[in-house]
Amino acid sequence: MKTMAASRLMIIAKKEFFDHIRSRKFLLIFGILLVVAIVGMIGGLSDYNKNLDDYNKHLSTIQSPLSSYMAEKPSILSVFSAVATYLVFVGGILGIAMGFDLVSKEKESKSLKILLSHPVYRDEVINGKALGGIAALGCALLVVLIIALATLLVYGIVPDGNELILIMIFGLVSFLLIFSYFAVALFLSTALDESGSALIYTMIIFIALSALVPTLANNTVTEFVVGSQPELPQELVDQMQQSVNKSDVSGISVTFSNKGNNGAWDAFNEKMQTYWEKRQMVHDTLALFSPTMNYESVTAAVTKQYTSSGMVVGASGSTSIVSSFNVVSAGDAGIDGIISTITANLIALLLFPAVFFGLAYLWFMRLDVR
Amino acid sequence: MILLEHLTKEYNGVRAVNDLTAEVPDGEIFGLLGPNGSGKSTTILMLVGLIEPTDGRCLINGLDVARNPITVRNRIGYMPEDVGFYPTLTAGENLTYFGQLYGMDAKILTPKIAGLLERVGLDGVTKPVGGYSKGMRQRLGLAKALLNDPSVIILDEPTANLDPQGVADYRRIIREVATSGTTVVVSSHILEEISRVSTSVGILSAGRLVAQGSWRDLASSVGNRSAAHITIRVETLDPMPAFSHPDLISAEYEQDRREAVIVARSDIRDDLAATLSEQGIRLRGLSREGLSLEETFLSYYQVAG
Repeated sequence: MKTMAASRLMIIAKKEFFDHIRSRKFLLIFGILLVVAIVGMIGGLSDYNKNLDDYNKHLSTIQSPLSSYMAEKPSILSVFSAVATYLVFVGGILGIAMGFDLVSKEKESKSLKILLSHPVYRDEVINGKALGGIAALGCALLVVLIIALATLLVYGIVPDGNELILIMIFGLVSFLLIFSYFAVALFLSTALDESGSALIYTMIIFIALSALVPTLANNTVTEFVVGSQPELPQELVDQMQQSVNKSDVSGISVTFSNKGNNGAWDAFNEKMQTYWEKRQMVHDTLALFSPTMNYESVTAAVTKQYTSSGMVVGASGSTSIVSSFNVVSAGDAGIDGIISTITANLIALLLFPAVFFGLAYLWFMRLDVR
Repeated sequence: MILLEHLTKEYNGVRAVNDLTAEVPDGEIFGLLGPNGSGKSTTILMLVGLIEPTDGRCLINGLDVARNPITVRNRIGYMPEDVGFYPTLTAGENLTYFGQLYGMDAKILTPKIAGLLERVGLDGVTKPVGGYSKGMRQRLGLAKALLNDPSVIILDEPTANLDPQGVADYRRIIREVATSGTTVVVSSHILEEISRVSTSVGILSAGRLVAQGSWRDLASSVGNRSAAHITIRVETLDPMPAFSHPDLISAEYEQDRREAVIVARSDIRDDLAATLSEQGIRLRGLSREGLSLEETFLSYYQVAG
């Protein structure tokens, strides 16, 4: 009995898989994904080579042992950051394109009623559809990763074991990102009768989670919840002013510290620390609800994309604050450190599609097929 | 055999099917007749196991459909109204997919599909189903319903989009499968279609089964209790004498044609003949018209209403 059920599930999944990979929309978006991945890889490789040259020059010109420690060898993972920049949009759209009409199309073509009149359980149908979609998405992403690795090899770059693991993590989270939006689209395709409506609502959710939530997380909501940044007490402002007036015109000797008022400075620093920690907590909590932000956090950790200000520049152009514990350099903390850093994001990336797939499942099981 | 026991289905408190009990013996072609909204499609969806009854049950060959959906669906063939297929696949690919869901082996499936497509007149059509006309999809739907050699075939409005040749082919195929012992349930609001193909009929009105039996039985039953249309032909050009009768509804006399049409609640021909005879009017004819299909059908709705 179980064998028959598994067999029916695989029959449905197989049909869905081939439907996907034969469809024009899949081929078109997959083609775009390939092009942007290759363009991203080439751009990333160019930057990597430039950084490597700078690093080598730095090593050859500075003889001090201390200086050599200060320069960090660029990681080949940085090449993938450019791919992530494109993948966050094109991958999301690929997921949506594959899911938005998965059930609604069958309602529109009236084939759902005839399918369900066959000896299949409803859970086999919805699971088969999801499985077929996941397999097609997985294949698409695998091809992208293989091409990315091939591009590295063509440029004479051979990743070591740790780098390969990080590349695999990158592939996994990229898959989870695409699957997240696929699951949203599948749910709306199940809940709504028209594919057009399902597409529009999924796109609204995609835009909200990719652009609106990051903006809110960085500004509006955070300000609302945490309040304004603490202002420098007047006595410290006066003190600073006095220090500036007394200082040398060149400004080199200007100092904001005052040995006579350490207590006030410490109190202010503590307030600021608390403020930024709260702000970070609100940001991180909101970020967990956005697959795009989770993806950016994970890829930032994996590909080590920092700016000099200590901020991570998101693929969507949003800037998220990164606390000292949120991003760990691969070189500093190793793979274990990175994994522990991104665990919350990974769990969120797993939970998000699971919730929407669960909703799609429940809705489909109760679907009125009149 | 199909057995419906007190079948009831409610949607938001409204009864679409109300305490329906019926029995369809093996090899019967049972026509389920009723106007739009009478509960035909809801009854069929419960028969196929696509919706569960609020109360009562459907038994197909002794198996409760709601409790054994997979076993039952393995034994039935179903063609819904507005039958839909996967538009990017060909007829053969669609049938192969459905055949695989029945657990049919490719070795059996390939020649079986070729034979079925030939039987419904779709052999040689290689384009995807998306390019089919409604009639072609209906033919394919019939082939799909026959794919698993079912013991029960359930067809919802099967001839709605067929051309005359398609209708003739459909009738031939349905009679052939019924002859081999397969039970067929055909739902339609087209009286002509039901009367041409079915061996027995059930009339649904507002979710209730208001009549069940052969057409002849139903017409006879209606004839005994419905209005009679009596035509009188006389030899004289004189005006018709006054005639009164408790069952008389209307009387129209066309003097030029020497013909009167009487509508009465019962067959009052004997009383009419006696009255005319008393008045010395010789009759050329006194006939009662038989009920048409529509009259029989409508009569049951009037009774139910």
